[in-house]
Amino acid sequence: MNALPSLNPGILDLDAPVVFFPVRHHSPAAARLVRSLALQFQPKAILIEGPADFNTKIHELALPHQLPIAIYSYVTLPNGNRRGAFYPYCVYSPEWQALQVAQELDIPAQFIDLPWADLVQLELAETDSDRHATSHRYADDRPLRQSQYIQLLGQQLGIEGLDNIWDHLFEIDPDLSLETYLERCHQFCFSCRALGTVEESDLHREAYMTQHIHHTLEQMGGPILVVTGGFHSHPLYEAIEESQKADESKAKGRRQKAEGPIHHSPFTIHHSKLGTQNSELPNSLTPELPNSPIPELPHSPPPSLTPYSYERLDGLTGYNAGMTSPGFYHHVWHHQPTVSIQNPKSKIQNPKSQPFSLSQTVLADVVQLLRDRDQPINTADLIAVESMANGLAALRGHAQVWRQDLLDGIVGALIKESVEQSNPFLSAVYDVLRGDGRGQLAPGTSLPPLVQDIQNQLTRYGIVPDGSMKQIRLELRQDLDQSRVLHQLRVLGIAGFHYQGGTDFSQRDDLVQPWESWELHWSPMVEGSCIEAAIYGSTLTEAAEARLLEQAQDVEREAEAAALLLLDASLMGLSRVGQPLRERLLTLIRADGNFLGVTKALGHLLYLYRYDDVLGAAENGVTDQLLGDAYHRGLWLLDTLGKPSGNEALLVTGVRSLLETAERCGAELGLDRQELMDVFQRVSQDRHQLPLLRGATIGGLWTLDSVPLDYLEHTLNAMASPQHIGDFLTGLFALAREVVQRYPDLLRQVDQVIQTFDDPTFLAALPALRLAFTYFTPREKHTLAQTLTQTWTPEGSSISPLSPLSVNPEIVAQVMAFEAQLQKTLNRYGLRGSP
Amino acid sequence: MPRKSKSTKTSESLQRPASEVLYADELKRLAEADGDAPRPEGWQLTPQSVVTFILGDKRLDISAKVVIGRSQLERCIVALATNRGLMLIGEPGTAKSYMSELIAAAISGDSTLTIQGSAGTTEDAIKYSWNYALLLAEGPSEKSLVPAPLYRGMAAGKIVRFEEITRCPLEIQDTLLSILSDRVLSIPELPDANRSLYAKRGFNVIATANTRDRGVNEMSAALKRRFNFETMHPIADLKQEMALVSQETERLLDQANIPLSLPPDLTEVLVTTFRDLRRGETVEGQTLEPLSTVMSTAEAVSVAYSAALHAHYYGGTEPTAEHVVHGLIGSALKESKEDMQKLRHYFNHVVKSKRGAKWKQYYNAHKQVL
Repeated sequence: MNALPSLNPGILDLDAPVVFFPVRHHSPAAARLVRSLALQFQPKAILIEGPADFNTKIHELALPHQLPIAIYSYVTLPNGNRRGAFYPYCVYSPEWQALQVAQELDIPAQFIDLPWADLVQLELAETDSDRHATSHRYADDRPLRQSQYIQLLGQQLGIEGLDNIWDHLFEIDPDLSLETYLERCHQFCFSCRALGTVEESDLHREAYMTQHIHHTLEQMGGPILVVTGGFHSHPLYEAIEESQKADESKAKGRRQKAEGPIHHSPFTIHHSKLGTQNSELPNSLTPELPNSPIPELPHSPPPSLTPYSYERLDGLTGYNAGMTSPGFYHHVWHHQPTVSIQNPKSKIQNPKSQPFSLSQTVLADVVQLLRDRDQPINTADLIAVESMANGLAALRGHAQVWRQDLLDGIVGALIKESVEQSNPFLSAVYDVLRGDGRGQLAPGTSLPPLVQDIQNQLTRYGIVPDGSMKQIRLELRQDLDQSRVLHQLRVLGIAGFHYQGGTDFSQRDDLVQPWESWELHWSPMVEGSCIEAAIYGSTLTEAAEARLLEQAQDVEREAEAAALLLLDASLMGLSRVGQPLRERLLTLIRADGNFLGVTKALGHLLYLYRYDDVLGAAENGVTDQLLGDAYHRGLWLLDTLGKPSGNEALLVTGVRSLLETAERCGAELGLDRQELMDVFQRVSQDRHQLPLLRGATIGGLWTLDSVPLDYLEHTLNAMASPQHIGDFLTGLFALAREVVQRYPDLLRQVDQVIQTFDDPTFLAALPALRLAFTYFTPREKHTLAQTLTQTWTPEGSSISPLSPLSVNPEIVAQVMAFEAQLQKTLNRYGLRGSP
Repeated sequence: MPRKSKSTKTSESLQRPASEVLYADELKRLAEADGDAPRPEGWQLTPQSVVTFILGDKRLDISAKVVIGRSQLERCIVALATNRGLMLIGEPGTAKSYMSELIAAAISGDSTLTIQGSAGTTEDAIKYSWNYALLLAEGPSEKSLVPAPLYRGMAAGKIVRFEEITRCPLEIQDTLLSILSDRVLSIPELPDANRSLYAKRGFNVIATANTRDRGVNEMSAALKRRFNFETMHPIADLKQEMALVSQETERLLDQANIPLSLPPDLTEVLVTTFRDLRRGETVEGQTLEPLSTVMSTAEAVSVAYSAALHAHYYGGTEPTAEHVVHGLIGSALKESKEDMQKLRHYFNHVVKSKRGAKWKQYYNAHKQVL
């Protein structure tokens, strides 16, 4: 490591005009120390890493919100896609504490990072792959995580992973001094950067931040506190140093006021490329700083606040890898002594921190949750957990029992079975560590973006509910957009919009004229539920998808549920089903071990696939993928079905779904026909298998044209017993109804078999045989009968064969009228014939 | 990871020397490095050094011996320092016994106090029995008592290993109850003064149990309470597992004096197959039905070894995909017909669509064999 550049020790100088405070986002230690630094040294202004275009609304952050909340910013791309970003804050976020302390000290605070719109353009220029549709800006541990330094340091310290290393170095020791923190953290981040990669967008951001710092310095003079991710601190320091020196030498030459921002940073900033039209810096509303409006980007409305939740913040469940276990760090924050403005040097014990230690408090929560879930925990267990956790903390050199120690203590002492993926104890522990905090915006905040989005959509489609009950009928071929918005509202659970009825896609109704009927009614609940739903996202589509994902996470191993959720997604018009939802749906299908369930799902999916022109196709092939998976899963389950009992009729439907899938979209999806035939072959030859299934699979093979007639006849003879023949034929006819009619020989074969039965045998076989022949329509039955009478009638006999079936149009009309009448009656009483 | 063949003179003639003999040198260096640093009483090494002994440390020239997460290992070690025993559970072939041997060697310098659990294990084999000649001649006394591993471990303050504890009848398992909670073994036959053997500090029990043939579900709740459970998982990382398989295979082939090794791409094919069938999910994310047979790393080694033997003795060639398929069928298809279906499904759905010459050969080989 000798060849590497080293940290400039000047960055540690607390008397410099600009002091850099490095943070890891959402680090309670950084939050605690940034407070004490600011209180001790009372800067003139605090500059914080955050979207500069929010500065116009920065006062909103001072309202009494319930955390966590987030700044949400989005850009509409030229192709119509929307890219959003969250800047979440919880009580222990250093950025949040920096804002709080600025307010307490009555000094201006400003965000200095590039607005999201500019970042998006930079990212688009860098890579053409579109990344996550929504990003979580303060989850940006990527440069740290990927640095080689973390690996090396981990080996050196005997600690695994960035989170544990960070905790070890910065969080665990409650008495870590400000000086140690600064030195350690600057060095740590500096080394990470030196042994890692720096993206070009980071350089641009840093150039922008440098300008901003420089500008503020000129306006207000020092000292200024700059709070950014530690990854950026050192480059910012060097850039400012350099420009300071340049200023000094310039000042020596001729004293003159500086004009506009100065580009002394090592990185040039291209405003035309960045899309920031004005090279003036974004401003804040604070009185001390000049206030000049920035023109808005064409497609980026100003960012706004939105409620957030610990669940979304948690790296384990959120979209991007972020910090894990917010609930734990929440406890950490409330357990540590806080410093107050009156007496910055002394620490006041937080009343909450007594009389229990941090780990005991967390453990108590875990136990409470476990007991609520009927998992017995007794005192002896608790003693064991504590002694384990204490032992682990000692072994690992932790000053107090920490997250991993507690987790390991619980795993070690409480779980008395093999630990697989899910375990009630573990999930309770993770739930507590995650925390269930949900944010709420204070009154007076501008409405969260979701509410605005919903209002816009309702107005655009003319479906704003009013005080009176209103019913609307949508013809889906024209009013698809309205229907989508309404379905999104339905999934999101917004009050005031009720689906009344319409074409039922899950029952595969007639699609000639798909329609829906909705009931709209305004009540104060409408707005309330919109604000509540803001937790799910910032646009209606995004929030509805997040809600759908939540629903998908609540079901387990149910392929049919996955298919119905996909149907919901289609009804909502999600043109791009996001990665997490897609994966969840795939998991549901892949984990379902029930042949009937999987093939039911296959039926729905096939239907969606074939008729998605009504609802509009999902763009990124998610139906294809799910269909392919359900097909393979179904095949596998059929192959290993064993001998099922019950639900025989559904088995045949399942086999038929497989066959239909292969026939209708095998070529498009690249499904292997041979595979299907192999499985059918094996099932049809399995002598222990149900005759029904053997018949169905052989029918399938026949339809696929891969079985010679004599083979079929051979199997038929093997099935010739009265207990089997009917079931076998039922299966066969169900799958090969059409082919059967083309081969009169088969019918004769069946005839021969039945001729050998004596009367009691025939009677025994009769019910199943009758069922088998119900698959044919009257006209088909007539044709079959004709074939048979021809067989029975010896040539040249005087008995005439069956006359052709002729039906008088009048009779048809009468029958149809009768059936319509019947249908009407059924409808009137709410009865529904089985399909 | 692999056992390093750093044989000392004493261990050379032995088929398999105990870990404390095999790694005597490493243990000595670690003990020296520890000096008189604080440690649980009765332990030869500090807990940190026990971790280092098992995970290895290049700076101290300590070899890595088992692939296990650091935090899990730390849990195991700390559990032994508390008043609970340690129960290692998992599928066969997940290095449970080897782990218990290494831990015992590191903590007590002695991994030989081992009770082998079976349906026929009696209390005598666990606690103590008598030298009946002396018993008859002199009556019960410490002299006529023949200590079994548990007795010796308690008396000397050492770790006692109880292998396959769930294979013992429940009432035999429960003899550990009072010993683990009160840390005292009563010997009613002896005179009052010697009637109770109090465990010296440093004594504890590491039990292993197999989740496959007879799980821990039957174990009494009272006994479960006295153990901390740790599940040993198969190796999570493909590369690590491949390295281990080829290293162990080579070691076996060396011992058998066969100048062959399994080519790396074939090792990859083999290890990937094992992992896919074990986890019930392929590398590509497709789900499968996991085999009912154990697909452990140890099994993979034995398949690789048998493939090489096969190639050597009945072909005189390098091992090919066909040899591997033969080995696989021998080890994977123990009894059930369903496993055969599953294996066939795996070949038809997964192997067929994999790219690479070896996979193609592998697929073609299966058609001839399966």
